[in-house]
Amino acid sequence: MTIKTTVIGAYPKIGDGLEAQELRRALHRHDRGEITDAELTKVFDEVTRAAIGEIEAAGIDVTNDGQIRWDDLLSPFARAWAGITPGPLERFYDNNTYFRQPVIDGRIVTDGRSLVRDYTFAAGVAKTKLKAAVPGPMTFATLAARDDQYGSLEERVLAIADATAREIAGLKAAGATTIDIEDPAIVASPKHIELAREAYARFADPDLDIELVTYFFPADPVLESLASFPVAAIGIDVRSRDTTAFDRLDAFRTHSVVLGVVDARNTRLETADEVARYAERALKLVPQERLVLATTTSLEYLPRDVARAKLTALVEGARLVTGEKVLA
Amino acid sequence: MSDNLLLTTTVGSFGKPEYLTKARGQAARGKLGATELEELERKATAEWIRRQEDIGLDILVDGEMYRGDMVAYFAERLEGFKIGGLVRSYGNRYYHKPVIAGKLARPKSMTVGWFEYAQSLTSKPVKGMLTGPYTLLDWSYNEAYPTRRDAVLALAEIVRDEARDLERAGAKYIQIDEPAIHARPEEIYIAIEAMGIVTAGLSAKTISHICYGDFAAIYPQVLDLPVDQLDLAMANYGYRWLDLFERNPFTKELAIGIVDVHAHTTETVDEAAEGIRKGLRYVPAAKLWPHPDCGLKTRTVEECVEKCTAVVEATKVVRKELAKVPA
Repeated sequence: MTIKTTVIGAYPKIGDGLEAQELRRALHRHDRGEITDAELTKVFDEVTRAAIGEIEAAGIDVTNDGQIRWDDLLSPFARAWAGITPGPLERFYDNNTYFRQPVIDGRIVTDGRSLVRDYTFAAGVAKTKLKAAVPGPMTFATLAARDDQYGSLEERVLAIADATAREIAGLKAAGATTIDIEDPAIVASPKHIELAREAYARFADPDLDIELVTYFFPADPVLESLASFPVAAIGIDVRSRDTTAFDRLDAFRTHSVVLGVVDARNTRLETADEVARYAERALKLVPQERLVLATTTSLEYLPRDVARAKLTALVEGARLVTGEKVLA
Repeated sequence: MSDNLLLTTTVGSFGKPEYLTKARGQAARGKLGATELEELERKATAEWIRRQEDIGLDILVDGEMYRGDMVAYFAERLEGFKIGGLVRSYGNRYYHKPVIAGKLARPKSMTVGWFEYAQSLTSKPVKGMLTGPYTLLDWSYNEAYPTRRDAVLALAEIVRDEARDLERAGAKYIQIDEPAIHARPEEIYIAIEAMGIVTAGLSAKTISHICYGDFAAIYPQVLDLPVDQLDLAMANYGYRWLDLFERNPFTKELAIGIVDVHAHTTETVDEAAEGIRKGLRYVPAAKLWPHPDCGLKTRTVEECVEKCTAVVEATKVVRKELAKVPA
């Protein structure tokens, strides 16, 4: 058995060659009214197909849809949910990448189907195991620009968690069995960890593999707390900042650990050996069947050609640990 | 009433005229030569100097008609950098994120020629415009230096040399932008150390623009940044950063953003004037400079003119109010 590999978050939407910039051109043309919504949807679909194809070609075991339609982590829900209006632009944590801060101006309501169409399309394309992803409730709540509806952070988080629960149920009904909840706020604001636990209890489901994915910041202050979250796996970024996580992974006695070992925010390319060494460190405390190697976060922080090379290094590194040869 | 109260300025960039945007596209595709492109950049610069004078701004900028991205412009001119692939910043906007691939060095000055040209077109002072060392590092990939601090300090020496060249060329105001300074609040000491290298020995007034991020996370430590003036986006934030000055008084000059640069609509003169009045609660008029929140390069030329006009007209309103107050 080999160590499994996966991706986190968004895949680069365009490449450097003009032929790989169809989506960029289509969005400009759509803005100018030169193509219809349906024509733009077709381009989104094709780019999604290409992203899944590239991830699979690298040999990744569990893919996602590349989040090609997402402007930012919060946008799929910020656009779809009643009670939310997209607000001002703000920098997304410590990245030179921006997002629209949600403004909560009414009771949050969703039919739970915000991502079902995209998931269903991706499921028809993916040849390997496909996972879904949703923005985490702590991140959505703490990055809101304004809240005119809920009286406290606690109320806001739990309302968002309830809406997220409906989205998760919608994805499950559409066939999803694994769902990443991308929630960097849990490690960015560790003081809210107990509130986060309460939120995650709202969508606990023993029949689903829910993965709480953190990134950008070390999980050190909350590592042991995360081990009692009602989810199947915990994602940890061990590259963005110094961390003691490698020495404490035995805190996870039942959870799988999705270990972000390939730095998705720097072009410096890891060697397969380097990836294998990270894996071997983790294997001292986590059994192989519960260890998944991953990128630290969205590969969209990198140019597409580098993203591809990073995935190859990830897969080669994972296979090196078990001595398996990489198939050309 | 002194003319030196509430000096108006802008953050640095303006929208490019359509003919220049088109020409840059042609140049990128190899269909227009560097000399032809530069001619158009000079034409656009001259137009912006004239517009700023017509609007009545006090401290001018060259408008950065010759720059695309504020980091890539410098990276393209420094040894040790290579230009990376396209990365998305937001929506459908992409930029070539630079890569620090080797030892950094500055073969020659990068902004002095444009400063001299812009200053030759006006009797009003023009600011020299640089990107700060911390932001140059944070908005690049670092493949070459062992730590982020090592790379920032190497960049600080380069920016220092450029700032000294600007001062020798006559710049009385030198702006060293650090919009990334709060990217990692735990690294504020690196940004401060680096800025100390850049501004040591300069007699020009030094300014640093900071925007988009959690300013509260670096306040009041940022008051130790060795510059005379901090230049802050405020309108976009509903002026909430001013609340921080209640507990820890603001000790520098403040360039205050009173119009949001990411909205197509322009604030009314009354709204913009109210922004200045808010600033005056914490910073005296001689140390308060009204301006738009950020660079205006994402706006059309017409929108830039509207927003700058709102700044100037709002300032006139508040100056009149100040003149009525007995000393």
